[in-house]
Amino acid sequence: MHASGRDMNQNPQQEQAPAWLEDDRLLQAHKLAALGELSAGLAHEINNPLAVIRQEAELLGELLVPGILERFPDGQDIQDSLREIIRQVDRCKSITHNLLNYARKNDPIIQAVDVNEIVEDMVRLVEKEAKCRNILLTRDYQRDLPLVFTDAPQLRQVMLNLLNNAIQSITGRGEVAVSTRRGGPSNLEVRIRDTGCGIAPEYLERIFDPFFTTKSPGQGTGLGLSISQKIVARLGGTIRVQSALGQGSTFTVTLPINETGSNHA
Amino acid sequence: MSDIRVLIVDDEVDFLETIVKRLQDRGFIAKGAENGEQALDYLQHNTVDTVILDVKMPGMDGLQVLQTIKLRWPLVEVIMLTGHASVESGIQGMQLGAFDYVMKPARLDDLLQKIRQAVERKKLQEEKIHRAQNQ
Repeated sequence: MHASGRDMNQNPQQEQAPAWLEDDRLLQAHKLAALGELSAGLAHEINNPLAVIRQEAELLGELLVPGILERFPDGQDIQDSLREIIRQVDRCKSITHNLLNYARKNDPIIQAVDVNEIVEDMVRLVEKEAKCRNILLTRDYQRDLPLVFTDAPQLRQVMLNLLNNAIQSITGRGEVAVSTRRGGPSNLEVRIRDTGCGIAPEYLERIFDPFFTTKSPGQGTGLGLSISQKIVARLGGTIRVQSALGQGSTFTVTLPINETGSNHA
Repeated sequence: MSDIRVLIVDDEVDFLETIVKRLQDRGFIAKGAENGEQALDYLQHNTVDTVILDVKMPGMDGLQVLQTIKLRWPLVEVIMLTGHASVESGIQGMQLGAFDYVMKPARLDDLLQKIRQAVERKKLQEEKIHRAQNQ
């Protein structure tokens, strides 16, 4: 049985987790599954009133025909306020949307995929934004890697998420280095290293928890890493992180090559 | 590559006509739609294996169309095509269940490869459902 995908070690030597920790993780996994179901129900319930609020706010906007507002001293404020209501409803919608996605049980569809190609496709997607922000993106892909039996779109989702996090962690100039390599006889590694803000040691253990975020309110839902970790675990792999505050982080995704690694979580 | 049914959705008519023709020349059953509404209407009345969907379109945008497709025809695989590399929309698209997110301009050979993978995925999923129903 695969323990889980949550090997978080600052120190690469501490690969093996003690048994009590494994038990704790199992308990955690059950809790998360229950939380997932609860979240999905909650998200569905909240979406309906959100739709009503948005619709009513839009209607109010339409009722305020040009000219009416000028009769009020605070006409502009009324309009701004309405716009803000709609904006915040959309913010809630993106949270419920992420919740549903988090809770969704996606049975992996296993295909032979070229990991270098998947990584490169996602790198190309973030390349422009990196350039705009003066971030140097470097690639170092090991050639002739074997095809991996895994779920392609789910792996793309993970890669895009990690790349986006890497870029977001950098303010000012910086570098994101992406590499792939054969990790061992039966697995591959994708490594995404950034020179960004890094993660404080006290947060390191929590970064894969749902809703945990160090971004400012409204900047992230705190589900990206949690979803990624869940996906990778389902694909039989692990995500590890090494980080030093102020120096950057390295996320390493290890994927099994063979289909045998894809036991369903 | 016979009898693979592809629907291409793009508001740039010149691009649309050319890619439909090139796919047909390679033996695909290819059909073009100029907007999201047309695409959904076509899907309502025809069986499609893979949709190639432009992200930025007037009217329903690509992400809305993707969401509707995955809701109503979850087995249909969708390859998103984007001219503007927006990371945010890429993340949303992948979360909504897109098979892939491809930057324009894409080489036709690369696109063909992705179409084949998407179709293979659809077949695997159909077989899985078939097996589950026969158990």
